[in-house]
Amino acid sequence: MKPTAFLNSSIKDFTLNLNNDYRYLKTGYYVSMHAEVLGNRVIPSSESIIDASRTPILLLRASKAGIPTLPYLVTGSVKQIISGLGFPLVVFAVNPFCYDGFSIAQNKSALYRAVKSLSMNYKFAVCAQPLRGEMVSFKSVFGKCKMEGEVADISMKVYEVFRLPICKLHVQKVGDEAYLCGLQPLRMEEILPADLEMVSEEVSRMSRKGEHLVG
Amino acid sequence: MARIACFVEKYNFSDQREAIALQNFQRTAQRMGHEFDFLFREGIPEIPRYDAVFIRATTDPLFTSYVVSKTAWELGRKVIDDPESIQICGNKIHLYDLFKKHDVPHIPTVFLNKEDLHHKRLLEVFETLGKPIVVKAPYTSFSKYVEKVACETSFRDVAKRYFRKSDMLAVQTFMPTAFDWRVGVLNRKTLYVCKYMIPKGRWKHGAKRRGKPTFVWGRTVALKTENAPSKLKEVALKACDVIGHGLYGVDIKEFNGNYVVVEVNDNPSIYAGYEDSRNKDLYGKIIEYLVD
Repeated sequence: MKPTAFLNSSIKDFTLNLNNDYRYLKTGYYVSMHAEVLGNRVIPSSESIIDASRTPILLLRASKAGIPTLPYLVTGSVKQIISGLGFPLVVFAVNPFCYDGFSIAQNKSALYRAVKSLSMNYKFAVCAQPLRGEMVSFKSVFGKCKMEGEVADISMKVYEVFRLPICKLHVQKVGDEAYLCGLQPLRMEEILPADLEMVSEEVSRMSRKGEHLVG
Repeated sequence: MARIACFVEKYNFSDQREAIALQNFQRTAQRMGHEFDFLFREGIPEIPRYDAVFIRATTDPLFTSYVVSKTAWELGRKVIDDPESIQICGNKIHLYDLFKKHDVPHIPTVFLNKEDLHHKRLLEVFETLGKPIVVKAPYTSFSKYVEKVACETSFRDVAKRYFRKSDMLAVQTFMPTAFDWRVGVLNRKTLYVCKYMIPKGRWKHGAKRRGKPTFVWGRTVALKTENAPSKLKEVALKACDVIGHGLYGVDIKEFNGNYVVVEVNDNPSIYAGYEDSRNKDLYGKIIEYLVD
């Protein structure tokens, strides 16, 4: 069923909302919101959509659920980041407008540049985390991904907490350990036929249970 | 003794009346034996130190204030405005969808998405709502992003601008009145009532001066809560019931003897000499709710 048709309807059933872009104010968000107003059980919930794309809340909720995360600082002040965390750093945007909203800063001038651009000229705050290993970014489809070990565990756990069917995860690998750093929506062109196959497999599994699908 | 953090941004102190109101909050809390600190963006990591968080910076799910609210909420702290209220009141589509479901009397509203922007659908909209109509972006606040249009061309103009950020918008019947009622509600009880007058020759409480970036605001006339019409208070409480228990400012229009809700705002403005002029106890009531 098309999202716009669902938005004009009052179907009362379990709703699986499939979209590449779940950002706030976009169609993906409105579908979940409308389903909740109708009283439907919905994947993902509108609350999770907002929370998952706001890095500090993502990390707070994830760590409460037992997902490993690193200490973070939410602020607009470069001085506070330097005194609180030191270098090197990974900086995430707190506004959910970005697809690739993180920068790595090794020194003060790089940090100034990163904060200025990610905070949209100091309009929003940023979320800084220490960089202790290497950053890995990958697609997660219903919690499944092409990674292995700890990283794959994180992907599955993030899906269990936030239930975002399709998203991109940023994880930091430090030796054998992995820490969740951020989550972002996928661009349409980033979704490959193989990912769609995974989606349709999961969808057919769910629809066998007679669930309602919007995508 | 409780510790209260009041999350503010620099602009909260730029208006003298708002700055005084903030000081009133601080003084009242201290008089009641509580600690009351102003918390700026740099103070966000300090949130766990406090028992309650009171947000006075403008709220929206996209703003830092939402991060503050959700962080406090997740840590189990009492918070005004709570994240759910910010999420609902910050998006007018969400709000009106709930009003429709729960039969809250509200201005006739139609939702439009980008696919609806064609001649046939727009004719239908004008037929249903009459002319002119009011176009509202879901993220409207302080009378911004609300425009009145009377023809298809200007509607397309406005809609195109609003569709840049949101995939949906709301259109409403135009209801000209001399003032909007503003009912302050806290924890399902009326806190204050006032009239937001519409400036002469305008149609909303805050209107932009032509060709200038400044706004002209109508007067605020406060009433004693007990002197306000009981039907008005009833409608305001019904509208808040579908949202939550927090602090809200309900805008209501009185039209042909009926009360219809325009919108419910979380984070309502509280300016010294305006909202509080007939209900001085509102500061104490809010602090009491925070530490309860």
